[in-house]
Amino acid sequence: MNNPHHLNPTSLKSRFTTRFLRALTKIRAQKPISSSSPTEIFRRYRRIKAAADKSMAYSVRSRRIWSRAMLWKLRSRSYRRQDPCSGRRSGKTNQAIMKKSSNENTTTRREDGVGFVEEADELRQLVPGGETMNLCNLLDETAHYIKCLTTQVQVMKKIADFYSF
Amino acid sequence: MHTELLSIFSKSKPQSKKKKKEKLVPSSSISFIIKAKKKTLIMQPCSREMQAMNSLLNPTQQIPLQDLQINGNRHHHQQIHVPSSSQFQYPTPTSTTHHDDSFLEQILSSTTSFPWSDETGPPNPEDNNNAGFNYDEMVLASKLRQHQINGGAAGNPFAAMKMMLMMQQQQQQQQMMLAGRPTVASAAAGGGITTNHQGGEGSMQALYNVFGDGSLHGTMQAKSFVGANSATEMTQSQGSGPTAGEAVTAPEKPKQRVRARRGQATDPHSIAERLRRVRIAERMKALQELVPNANKTDKASMLDEIIDYVKFLQLQVKVLSMSRLGGAAAVAPLVSEGGGDCIQTSANGGSHPRNSNGDQTPSANDRLTMTEHQVAKLMEEDMGSAMQYLQEKGLCLMPISLATAISSATSRSRNPMINHENPTNGSHLLIQSSGGDGPSSPSMSVLTVQSATMGNGGLEGGAASVSKP
Repeated sequence: MNNPHHLNPTSLKSRFTTRFLRALTKIRAQKPISSSSPTEIFRRYRRIKAAADKSMAYSVRSRRIWSRAMLWKLRSRSYRRQDPCSGRRSGKTNQAIMKKSSNENTTTRREDGVGFVEEADELRQLVPGGETMNLCNLLDETAHYIKCLTTQVQVMKKIADFYSF
Repeated sequence: MHTELLSIFSKSKPQSKKKKKEKLVPSSSISFIIKAKKKTLIMQPCSREMQAMNSLLNPTQQIPLQDLQINGNRHHHQQIHVPSSSQFQYPTPTSTTHHDDSFLEQILSSTTSFPWSDETGPPNPEDNNNAGFNYDEMVLASKLRQHQINGGAAGNPFAAMKMMLMMQQQQQQQQMMLAGRPTVASAAAGGGITTNHQGGEGSMQALYNVFGDGSLHGTMQAKSFVGANSATEMTQSQGSGPTAGEAVTAPEKPKQRVRARRGQATDPHSIAERLRRVRIAERMKALQELVPNANKTDKASMLDEIIDYVKFLQLQVKVLSMSRLGGAAAVAPLVSEGGGDCIQTSANGGSHPRNSNGDQTPSANDRLTMTEHQVAKLMEEDMGSAMQYLQEKGLCLMPISLATAISSATSRSRNPMINHENPTNGSHLLIQSSGGDGPSSPSMSVLTVQSATMGNGGLEGGAASVSKP
């Protein structure tokens, strides 16, 4: 059947949707829904959330700092799960790199004459990979991140609606 | 399944446009060029650069120019044999003149697009054909250089001045002109890099790299230049200067040079600061459009709004991924990573976030969970409706800190839970009171007092949480 209002197949929304649905089906295939223990549910929730975030980050590729940071974070987390030793190593090296760059940035970061240090810091914590950005880039990344988050929420809502009959 | 979902998507409203950043497109200068066409050269007592330009582009003088008959040279690196300087003539005065005029206009107007402190009058976007670079060029070039040192405008004029210098240097190399021409034309046309220049100017090359598809596409062709590569470079840079003004400065100088207006400091630091502030203001504006409730004029409060909104969206994602687990299973206590955000539900009932589960489990815990889920769901759609729902239920949102304070204060009382009403916006703590205790209970009275005091918004940065003291 033709969709007259078919989405642009290369838009962020459709990219995210396809990826996320694929991940969801994979998760569903992995475990049955019958698990009732809280930890199981929790783990599943985490997995779904991770899948959602990962799909979003992948849809953005590495064009954005936050997507790169998020991908790295997810990857390191999964590595840590699989193999603690290797995870620690890679995590450490990566973290060292990130910390170093962030330290450099913080040391070179001036007051900027704009004076929004507190809010900027809080924003940096919210946006993945935000520690290594100056205010200008941070605002830019935040705008893109907000856009992607709204897309994600829209898609997930639609899926939930669709499946909750 | 996918098609159905996509059809659902199709009904949704279109995505908001990207409003992140708007690149500067100084097309106004180009339009200015096109409009202000004149055929005669008028020497005006304008800035030194303009004078230089004018003199350089003097049509009446013999132009050891190359012939501009390089038609259809849209290829890079095209070498065209240039006749000796003695034979230079204007092949087709009318056509070339026309082109030259437009070209000159471009140059001049582009220089005029940036405020010059020394300008005494509007530069004259005239004409002329050709760039007759006489020996006045030397003088003018030096003047230009001085002007440049004094802090010329960004991008284009800079390039223009550099061009002048180059021209001065390569004045003799008229043959190069022709070689440069096609490259110029092609470069202007295709925005490519001209590698044909003799006397390599690395910076110029970098400039060319930066130049995008010239708006002077066709007009750059067949321009008669007196100078050598420099002339062509100048035109080229001029042509694409307006469009790539921003980028041009990047390869040229480490930091941008914005021409200061009268009475303002030309200190590079303050200029850089001003530039930064402008950029930040742009981005804040873009963010304002993305975030709802963006009616704040104060930047700090705007930032707070942004922060709250990001937290809200992240919370929504969490809730949604929670809800997708299907309606059957219980929801474990969830503690988010983002310090402070906390959704605690001690529920065993269905976590189905729809309205249907209202009557299933009588226990307060389940009610709590369901309410909380319901509220979360509502919050995704519309904050107002969420608030209304809360009000109906006799609940409210409040910051976690306050909630913990209250819960500790009322922990002694019988009532295990607390009710509060607060219709302010944001993601806040949701505390449910036990059952149907009337307002006569002491805790409730305490709470109502609290709600009254809280009404004015001590709520900030909280997270939605349901706590059972």
